Amino acid sequence: MFSFGVARKLRKIVGRDAVLDRPEDLMLYEYDGSLARGEPRYVIFPQTTEQVAEIVKLAGREALAIVPRGAGTGLSGGAIARTGGIILSFARMNKILEIDIPNLRATVQPGLVNLELSNALAPHGFYFAPDPSSQKACTIGGNVAENSGGPHTLANGVTVNHVTGLEVVLPSGRVVQLGSKAASAAGYDLTGFFVGSEGTLGIATAITVKITHLPEAVATLLAIYNDVQQAANTVVALTSEGITPTAIEMLDGWTLRAVEAAVHAGYPLDSAAVLLIELEGLREAVEEHAETVSELCRRCGAREVRRARDEAERQLLWKGRKTAFGAIGRISPSYYVQDGVIPRTRVPETLRKIEEVAKKYSLTIGNIFHAGDGNLHPLILFDARDPEQTQRTLDAGREILDFCIGVGGSITGEHGVGMEKQDLMCSLFSESEREVMKRLRECFNPDSLLNPQKILPSPRLCREAIAPNHASLEAPVASAPELR
Amino acid sequence: MSASSIMEPTVVSRLQQLLGREATVADPAKLQEVAIDGCAPQAIALPSSAEEIAATLRVAGEQDWVVVPVGGGTRLHVGRAPERVDLALSLEKLNRILTYDPGDLTISVEAGMRIHSVQAECRQNRQLLPLDTSAGATIGGALASAENGPWRAGFGASRDFCIGVEFITGDGFCGRGGGRVVKNVAGYDLMKLMIGSFGSLGVIVSANFKLFPLPAQTLTCLCEFDSLATLIEFRDWLLRSPLSPMAAEVVNPPAVEYFSDAAPRDPDEWAPPTAVAENAPAWQLALQFAGSDRVLARCRQELGEAEHRTLRGEEEAAFWRGLRNFEQRVMSRHRNALIFQVQVPISETSSAIEAASAAATDYNFLAAVIGRVTTGTFVVAFLTLAIDPPAVTQFASAASAFRSRLSKAASAVVLRCPVEAKRHFDVWGSTPIDLELMRKIKRAMDAKNVLNRGRFMVE
Repeated sequence: MFSFGVARKLRKIVGRDAVLDRPEDLMLYEYDGSLARGEPRYVIFPQTTEQVAEIVKLAGREALAIVPRGAGTGLSGGAIARTGGIILSFARMNKILEIDIPNLRATVQPGLVNLELSNALAPHGFYFAPDPSSQKACTIGGNVAENSGGPHTLANGVTVNHVTGLEVVLPSGRVVQLGSKAASAAGYDLTGFFVGSEGTLGIATAITVKITHLPEAVATLLAIYNDVQQAANTVVALTSEGITPTAIEMLDGWTLRAVEAAVHAGYPLDSAAVLLIELEGLREAVEEHAETVSELCRRCGAREVRRARDEAERQLLWKGRKTAFGAIGRISPSYYVQDGVIPRTRVPETLRKIEEVAKKYSLTIGNIFHAGDGNLHPLILFDARDPEQTQRTLDAGREILDFCIGVGGSITGEHGVGMEKQDLMCSLFSESEREVMKRLRECFNPDSLLNPQKILPSPRLCREAIAPNHASLEAPVASAPELR
Repeated sequence: MSASSIMEPTVVSRLQQLLGREATVADPAKLQEVAIDGCAPQAIALPSSAEEIAATLRVAGEQDWVVVPVGGGTRLHVGRAPERVDLALSLEKLNRILTYDPGDLTISVEAGMRIHSVQAECRQNRQLLPLDTSAGATIGGALASAENGPWRAGFGASRDFCIGVEFITGDGFCGRGGGRVVKNVAGYDLMKLMIGSFGSLGVIVSANFKLFPLPAQTLTCLCEFDSLATLIEFRDWLLRSPLSPMAAEVVNPPAVEYFSDAAPRDPDEWAPPTAVAENAPAWQLALQFAGSDRVLARCRQELGEAEHRTLRGEEEAAFWRGLRNFEQRVMSRHRNALIFQVQVPISETSSAIEAASAAATDYNFLAAVIGRVTTGTFVVAFLTLAIDPPAVTQFASAASAFRSRLSKAASAVVLRCPVEAKRHFDVWGSTPIDLELMRKIKRAMDAKNVLNRGRFMVE
């Protein structure tokens, strides 16, 4: 049998126990954190860069797609084997290669779990700043692919702000260096360009990241509101007052009650919304800002502002936030999480819009935001076994994202486009702009061997998705839209 | 008759057809102003929209013109000496703020706008665009040349706060990355690709930025050290301390005297008003802090005896102005200086500065160094000594001696160098980024090599 031959060749590269090809084993790799599904033909667990290069060359000869995969926590279908082929799992390339304190860098393999890096750095007084809510499970390779964020990226920046060097295997099997331990380099910033490319340009096999000094002082505040609009107004006020906390998270009443039932984080059950605000830095600065922020929350209508008294209380408040998706999983058979971004001045009206959408489609939508960044995560509850309900859910999600685009925002702040939001790329970018992106992808991945059919929509999908008044390739600039 | 003079009427007349008379400059004096390494264009185009830029570039492709995008003209000297330049594409008409949303701390600006004008606008709302370049730089030029200043230590480089970019590729396609919101992963990150591409891939039309609150007050502590080693030791302490300065700049002893605001009239006649440096000046570390009185007091307390002098108000502003314009100040006194932009991993700071001093001395130069000690970003000026000026090939020898002492992770790009010397070595040097991929990208964005032909690191 044809496939038997490939499996044998794959085993020759990585060893007998590092290739899966039985249907019952492959089933586990059909999904990620999104709603998408796709069946791989093989799952392979390389241990070295050389093995990855060999696998890529073999896949090229056999015309099999390769989809790199970290922990599979992605929320946009990035790690789904959409056209079959090989899932290249980094579960066994999960080591810290070097911690280099004098250079403030660490070099890691892509399969390393995000939190494990911070844990390893803690004794030195450092941590890795990007902290996606899934940081206990998600991998740094996945973070690089998706340019992951997290609550604390408001002040500290997302993954791309913390990556300075990459070792990458290209679809040709060639291993290239992009960047180093230096903060930047002469030439095109291909390190920065690679981060967030969702596995469509190359496969990162070693990642050099910046490490950050642990702050001297931290204050965690919980502002409690009887009206969700007052919480939204606080976010606007904090931003325009020029106060930059390290995190401003918002949970609406419905969501915080679901969370409270699961983890007892200490959120008040009778409130309409809470803001979880964190300040970091020099002791004196944190004290002053904590005062100012509390005062501002009250002025915007907070009925109470609590401050975590110790590290345990602080951890509990964060546990509530970071395990929120899991908590929702307890009470609903399925949920669909959106990742829209809006200018921060638009938070209040966007919340009203989401409420309207929930009513219109008769769905329950919980709201959990990285409010300081304007990054929304509306959680739409539904039952995936019911096709009609599923369709309504997708339509509701689409309407929310259309609204985000309409107010000058984006369709994804940190989860990626993947295969979930490809059609929306048609409304966000013109044909000419997508063509430029496609040409750049082809410089790295000319035959779409790597993670095919992700990010960029097919022209057909765009023709179906939007009205035919967009820029055409013959006259690429005549109808160039304004910079959004 | 040279090839360029045959072309002259064609470029000018085609351009006039395309953009109109008022958007076409052919005045020889004006053309000389944008000459690159002595190579003046046939015409200057003044497009006023993305569409006009695209149309110009498409015609340039058909006619095989070499086009150089021009912003404030403060970085035009960077790059290899071009064999020919047909058209300077000036962005000066694209000089408006497109949207400014103070409530969201974001701004969208056309590429030809001067950075100081954008900053003045932001200041009215007590906000800051921390793009601290030399005077006169434009938004597009600063991005294209990845220029950065002392605030990189506290706010990051432009790659960290530029949230969107629109450009026209060498073959006239409209490209766009990012958007107007502060967090966005939709599509490839084209901001990163455009920043530092020196106009070799596309012409930046506009860019969007995330802004920062303007600090209510700042102060600068000047710390002095008797050697580089003690300064570095202090820097290592600083990196582990809870302090987070907005700027942390080293100034080596020979660099100190270039900070004066007083400009000499004639570089060949320059003499200091008073004798310079009777006692050997020390190694300086300038730390700028922001915050309330209590916060600033705490910062000074942490520095303890290391602090030698405190600068505030106009004195502070003048110091940083001197530092930001270091390159220009050096050039005003040494028109043949060899100046590098150097980037090293931070632990190589001391070896890189020592390498610069050693290589300079070996080839009859004197190395004046300033730079960001917490990010490893330096400006290294090899000053020519009036008493024994270097031969043309000595620049190449000095550059190669300096570069050979740096690690593979480092870059040392020549910012300034006499054009005669440029022909003897590569101003770009090596890079830890794959060259073959860079070449592919250049061809994908500018297949006919219209933009900055012969000037960038890859073709």
